[in-house]
Order: sequence, then structure tokens, then C-alpha cells
Amino acid sequence: MKEPVLEIRHLTMQFGGVVAVNDLNMHIDEGEIVALIGPNGAGKTTAFNCVTSVYEPTNGAVIFRGMPIARNHPSGRMRKFYAGKEIDAFSGHVVHNTPDKITELGIARTFQNIRLFKGMTAFENVLTAMHLRRRSNVFTQMLHLNGQEEAAMRKETDRLLEIVGLTDVKDEMATSLPYGKQRLLEIARALATKPALLLLDEPAAGMNPQETEELSAFIRRIKEQFSLTVLVIEHHMNLVMDISDRIYVIDFGKLIAEGTPEEIQQNPAVIEAYLGGDVD
Amino acid sequence: MWNTVFPYLLSGISVGGQYALIAIGYTMVYGILRLINFAHGDVFMVAGIIMIYISASGMPLYVCIPLVILFTALIGFLIERVAYKPLRSAPRMSVMISAIGVSYTLQNLVLYITGGLNKQYPTIPWISDSVTIGPATTKIVTVVTPFLTIFLVVALVLLINKTKIGMAMRAVSKDFETSQLMGININSVISTTFVIGSFLAGVGSILYFTNYNTVIQTSGAMPGLKAFVAAVFGGIGSIPGAVIGAFIIGIVENIIKGMDVILFKSGVIARPLGLATFSDAFTFALLIIILVVKPTGLFGEKATDKV
Amino acid sequence: MQKQGKKSISGATWVSLCLIVLVYVLVFIAEQVLPPTSMLFTVLKKGATYALIAVSMNLLNGFTGIFSLGQAGFMLIGAYVYAVFTIPLSQRMSVYQYYDGGIVQFTLPIFVAMILAGLVAAFFAFLIGLPVLRLKSDYLAIATLGFAEIVRAVFQWDKLGPLTNGSNMLRMFPNFNNFNLTDAEGHVTVYLSTLIPFLISGVCIALIVLLIHSGYGRALQAIRDDEIAAEAMGINLFHHKELSFCISSFFAGVGGAMLAMYQTTVQAKSFTSAMTYEILLIVVIGGIGSVTGSVISSFLFVACSEWWLRFLDEKQMIGTFEVPLLRNGFRLVVFSVVIMIVVLFFRRGIMGTKELPDLFRKRKGART
Repeated sequence: MKEPVLEIRHLTMQFGGVVAVNDLNMHIDEGEIVALIGPNGAGKTTAFNCVTSVYEPTNGAVIFRGMPIARNHPSGRMRKFYAGKEIDAFSGHVVHNTPDKITELGIARTFQNIRLFKGMTAFENVLTAMHLRRRSNVFTQMLHLNGQEEAAMRKETDRLLEIVGLTDVKDEMATSLPYGKQRLLEIARALATKPALLLLDEPAAGMNPQETEELSAFIRRIKEQFSLTVLVIEHHMNLVMDISDRIYVIDFGKLIAEGTPEEIQQNPAVIEAYLGGDVD
Repeated sequence: MWNTVFPYLLSGISVGGQYALIAIGYTMVYGILRLINFAHGDVFMVAGIIMIYISASGMPLYVCIPLVILFTALIGFLIERVAYKPLRSAPRMSVMISAIGVSYTLQNLVLYITGGLNKQYPTIPWISDSVTIGPATTKIVTVVTPFLTIFLVVALVLLINKTKIGMAMRAVSKDFETSQLMGININSVISTTFVIGSFLAGVGSILYFTNYNTVIQTSGAMPGLKAFVAAVFGGIGSIPGAVIGAFIIGIVENIIKGMDVILFKSGVIARPLGLATFSDAFTFALLIIILVVKPTGLFGEKATDKV
Repeated sequence: MQKQGKKSISGATWVSLCLIVLVYVLVFIAEQVLPPTSMLFTVLKKGATYALIAVSMNLLNGFTGIFSLGQAGFMLIGAYVYAVFTIPLSQRMSVYQYYDGGIVQFTLPIFVAMILAGLVAAFFAFLIGLPVLRLKSDYLAIATLGFAEIVRAVFQWDKLGPLTNGSNMLRMFPNFNNFNLTDAEGHVTVYLSTLIPFLISGVCIALIVLLIHSGYGRALQAIRDDEIAAEAMGINLFHHKELSFCISSFFAGVGGAMLAMYQTTVQAKSFTSAMTYEILLIVVIGGIGSVTGSVISSFLFVACSEWWLRFLDEKQMIGTFEVPLLRNGFRLVVFSVVIMIVVLFFRRGIMGTKELPDLFRKRKGART
């Protein structure tokens, strides 16, 4: 069997007594588009933040291409409060990364509440994200001796902006763009870090119906073009059912269902969690 | 040994008490506005200047002292209204810059008024008298300070825990936005905080300058910074923390000041090392160590950011 | 040289460059024509020094979003390193009179000493940055302020006297007047004592501008705009902050060396936190995030404080009427009030985040 791109084992995240993610197990295989859905406050973004090392999980492990990128076990106060099972499952070597390290390994993300660089144009936003893959050092850059590399990056930026369809607004300030375009820009910026796994946090939020429709085709297209694996958090059920190969559903931090879109649509537990059948 | 250490210890406790009175102002303002009020040390200095000018007008001391404290509280109130209130929704850096601007303004105003000269602080009868305790001879103010400080702190803690305005203060320092929604008048709470902070700085200035005799426009900078360090040390936002931090800093600073003499007299060293230079530097080294090792200080609470 | 895809230098940039060259030419001419005692040169020399220091502070506060208040400390280090290594051997006995001529018994060329000044300042910045740059905004401010105070105390320590001359003054080192070209009899033939500081400051500021416009500069601005997003884009916060801190301190150190040359003497006790505040206020007046603004406001600030507003400090008579309030210190009061007005009502400062070329460009939107 092929190794999954991302594997989440017994992931638990507690904030004091609040259990935001509770014993979550997931895996995403190469080339899949997987959706993580659940009602508001179910712990989806928290799970994202654990994967990208914004938070240190209380317990559990995140494994990327066979390498543990986050592994932890409850200690101190957390141990006393710990609500999950398998308290000692990960008590071996503890791994803590910083978010930039995770991105360097090849996991890029977008944000639920758009976080573009405010003082920069759309073009600069994407260009900045390529900084990670530079070879030149600060001195050659200061003296602008890295012309070739810089030129290649600018070209690549232009290409990315063209792919997401923002070429005409590339010199506008990022924050002055309409909401839908800001979302696309965030995706372009994430792609600029050359990821293998793309995490999209509610990419359709704030988009109009037409844009949402275009988004599913767009996600599929970039998946092929950049040979990505995609994990997406989303509320728009049409979009989720359209693009996902598999879906995970969580509620109150706990996994309640897992399966193909068809299976999920039939699942009584899911229908109940979504207020008696919001899924249409 | 004890005989040489004791005088330094005594003045350390006294200075610590004076720092404590200033530190409370820092810690309360930070607790509520998350602002380092860089001007607070200068308010303390201005209180000293006001005392000099009021007493020069020939008024009796029992009129002067209340007037000084009243004016100092008023200045604190005005600074908040003029320089901080308009920036309530501005980025934190702007407010800090405004605080630095106020500090600069106060120092320059005093420079203008005094002509940049050291001004003699009036002698306050009784507390300026000398007293001998064991091996140390000192002014009565040295002995009075810690007691007065403790008394004021207890009164303040009672005010915060038992009165309505105190409850409002605690609410605002916990959650600014929510307490606003709950109908607490934020502005009056903030003003009260500044008034209390400045009031205590006013009292502190009388004790401090009675000990040091002269006031100049930069007199407030150092005690102000040290009091701030004390507030951080104790865990910013915590009043008991600030007081304990201030006493520790006051004592250690004075011990370092006397370290040469102490070591010399006890025969450890043959020649002075000039360690007294480091009495100020020590405070800041302590600050950096504390911030790195335990940024929340002795009694501070941890805050988390949301992504 | 123009490679495909590379941003070409725009017309506005050319206009700005020409303007800057013009200023240099004017400075050179003025120096040959006007008497060297003219107040203008005092202002230009000190202005050039402050411009460099203000820009170096702006790199931190405006472009990286680190609120540091340690500038005076790094200036002090720079000034001392410069002075210690350039005092002529023949003068050391009289300068270090309490320390038997000190322990440094060699001198370095002026420019080598200046670069060393920057490097030592940057080295200290590196060390202090290790713990301090992990702190949050206001804690960082107070910790760097504390660092500057520690430096000030250490340099005055009697035990370091053979190196730093303790709390005594350092003097007799080469100053700006040494840049003038003289003939055999010691008469000045070509005045360069203003132009050279202008050039030093100009080169340093140009380097900072180049940095800001490089990939690293964009990474720093990304940190300023949104730390969390910057980190998610693979920018290591600590490394980049440390880098910015060291570079800023390097130039603050060079600026300190220039200040030493301007003052002709150096004493640790004058590098107070008030000095840092003054530079911070210059940056604020110019506009946080604008190099041009910092430069303009440095010259304005120095001109006002040294020259144009001096009259406020002296008694003035209009006929037989004595203008009230005018006496020593009034200038600073006026100054403070102006600063408070800027801070409270014109928070964008003179330039906001605009730079010189932006002034020659058409409005946004018309830009293609």
C-alpha cells in the first residue's frame, strides 16, 4: 500500500478544559482532494493549526510523507485535564516545529479570515511567498546581484497570477481587491511556496454563487497542474460534494463520519449534526 | 558584616517602597490599556517640581502636600484625556509613541520653567529629621516609607476588591470590549486608573525627593524605568506583584551600590571594583532575564493569541 | 543589463536620482562659496548623521514592525569604537591621562574604524537579539531600552577605563574637518567636510533602500504586515527579525561614529534614552515606513533645533515691546507641542509610506 501524504493519529488539542479536537484520525493519499467538514466551532481550523504547527497539539501525531512533523503528549496541567484515551501513546520523542518549517517541507495553507500582506500589491504578495525558495543570500540581494533569480521569480509570479486569473489587478493593493479575488490571491500565494499538500481553509467563504462554481473547477485544475494533494475545509456543500474524493466530518472535535460524498450524504449522524439535513 | 550591610538594606527597603508607589501606576494602566505609560515617571518628577513651586509661594506644608497630590492626580487625568483617549482605536505603536511624546513634552516644559537647573526640594519637618536605628543613621522618611506604602497598597487592594469602581476596573482589565458591551463606562474607569496611579506617584515623589533633595527635568526617568521593571518583574497587571518587585529591586540596587564598601570592609577585596556603576544596569539586566525566562513575571497571567 | 521580467527603472526613479545628485552638487558648491562657520553646515552635517540613524531605526520600526528603543546604545557602541581606534597615538597620553595612555596602542584608518564601529554594534545586536527578539511588541521596546542603559553603564565602568576612558571624555580623534583637502601650509584648498558625511550617509541609506527593495526586504515587510501569514509562507520570524536588527544596528553604529565626528568628543553619559526618543520622534514626523520621510524630517528637525527656532530661546524685542515667554528652553516646548500635534492628528507624518519617486508618479489607478 502506498504511504499517505498526510496522516493524523489520535490528534487531540485542549485549551485548558476545552477539547477543541478530540482523538482525530485521518489520512490523505497522494493526489486526493479530501474535505474536512463540520458545524461551526467543530474544531476544523484548530486541526489545521495543529498540522501547520501554529499550535502544539496536546496529544497525538501528524505525519507528513512518513516523517513526523508534530508529535506530542500531554504534560503538566494538561495531563491532569486530558480528556482523550491513549494518554501515553506518543510519549517517545517529541517533535515541535515552527510554521515556517512546515511550509518549507511542502505544506502550504490559506486562512479562513484572509491574511494577506496589507502593505503590498497582489504581485508583491505572491513574490514574497517565493522568498522561501531563494538560493541567494542577504548580501547578494542587498546589492541586487541576484538578477537572474529575481527575474525568474517575477516571471513565475506572473505565471501564477495568470493561472488564478488576477493578471489585470496585479499592481493593485491586495486588500483593495474584492473578497473573492483576495481568496484566489491567497491560493496563488500558497502555491508560490511550491507545496505538495495544499490546505484550504474555507476558500469559498464570501464568494458569490458564480465564483463558487468556478472555484471547484479551479481547485481541480491546480491540483492537476501542480500535482497537489488538497485538504479543504468548507461549508458550501455543493462545492464539497463536487470536488472531494473523500470527506471527514467532525463535530465537537470528534470524528463522526468518513467516506465518499455519496456515503456521507446518506449518513444519519451527519444529517443530525447538520440540523436535520442541511445537506441537499 | 551586618553593620555594614544594614544601612544599605534599610535604604533599599525605603527606595523600594517609593518605586512601589510608582510601579502601581504602571501596572494598573498596563492592566487596563495594555500600554506602557512612558510618561508616568515624568508625572512623578512634575509632582516634585509642583511641590517646589507651591512651597516657595509660602503656603504652609499642610496645604502644600494635599495640593501637590491633587495637582498630580489632575495631570495624570489630563494626560490620559489629551494624549491617549484620541488614540483608543489606533495601533498600539501609535499610543506608545504618544506616551513617549508626552514624556518628552513634560521634560521640556520643566526644563523651560526651571531653566534646566537643579531645584532644591523643600525640607519637610519631622520626616526630614535624622534618626538612628542600630548601626544606621538615616532620615525618618526612610523608616516611614515602607509602612506608608503598605498602608496605601492595602487601601488600594480593598478599593479594587470591594467597591463598584474596583469591580469595573477588574472587568475592564479582563476584557476591554465585553465590559464595554456590558455597559461599563470605559472612559471613567480609565480616568480613575490614571488618577489613582498619579495620586500614588505624587505621594511617592514627596517621599523620594525628601530623600534626594533636588529635582531636575530628568529626575523622573530613572525611577520611572525602574518602577516599570518592578512592575514587569512582579507580573504586569498584578498590584501585589509590582509592590514585591519594587522592594526586591530597591534592596538589590542599594546592596550593589554598597557592594564595594561591604566587600572591602569584610576583607574580600583590597581595592574598590567600581561596582556601584552597575546599580542601574542591574535593574535592566534583571528585566531582560525575567522577560526571557518568565515573561509573565512572578504573578502575571498568561495571555494567548488567536489565529 | 535589463533582463526579461525584471522591473525596469521607471522615469520617476530617474527624476529622483537626478534630484539627489543635484543636492550633492549644491552641497559641494555651497561649501566652497560660503564661510565654513555658516550655520548651514552645522545643520547639514548633523542632519546627514541623524538621517542615517533615523533611517536605520525606520528599518526596524517601520519596515519590520519591531518596536525597538535601543538605538542610543548601538550609537554609543559605534561612537566609542570609532573614537578608541582613531585617536592618534601622540594624543593618547593626554586623552587617557588617568589610565596611562590606555591599552589600545595602534590606530585604524578612518573608514576602517567606521566599518568596525558598525560591525561591533551589529555583533552586540546579534547577542542581545537572541533573547530579546522573541518578545512581544512592548516588552521588546522596554528590553531594548534597558539594554541601551546597560551599555551606557558598562562603558562608564572604571575597570574598563584603559579601553573606554571610564566616565571621561574621548577626544582628539579625526572629525569631519579632517576630510578637507589642504595644501602644504595647512590652508584648506577644497572643502569636503560636509560633502563626505553626505556621501557616507548617502551610501548607507542607499544600501538600506536596496535591502528594502530586495527579497529580504519584502520578507521583513511581510512580517510587519502579518506575522502569522508570513510564518505560514515559510518566513522564519526569528531569523529575519535578527537580520533586520543586526543590519539596523550596523548602520546605527556607523551613525554613532558620524555623531562622534560631528561632536568631536564622545562621552557615554550623553547617549541617554532621550536620544533614542528624539530619533523615534524624527521617524514619526517623517512617516513610519518612509525612508524619504525620515531623511527630510531629520534635516528639518536639526535645522529647527539648531538654527531656525533658536530665536525662541532668546529675548526678542519688537520696538520696545519684549515678546513674552521667549527664554531658554522655549524652543523645546514649541517643539514638543508640534510633535504631540503630529502624533495625535497627523499620524502619517510628512510622507506617510510614500517615497521620493512616488511624488513624481501619477496617482494610483492611472498607474499601468
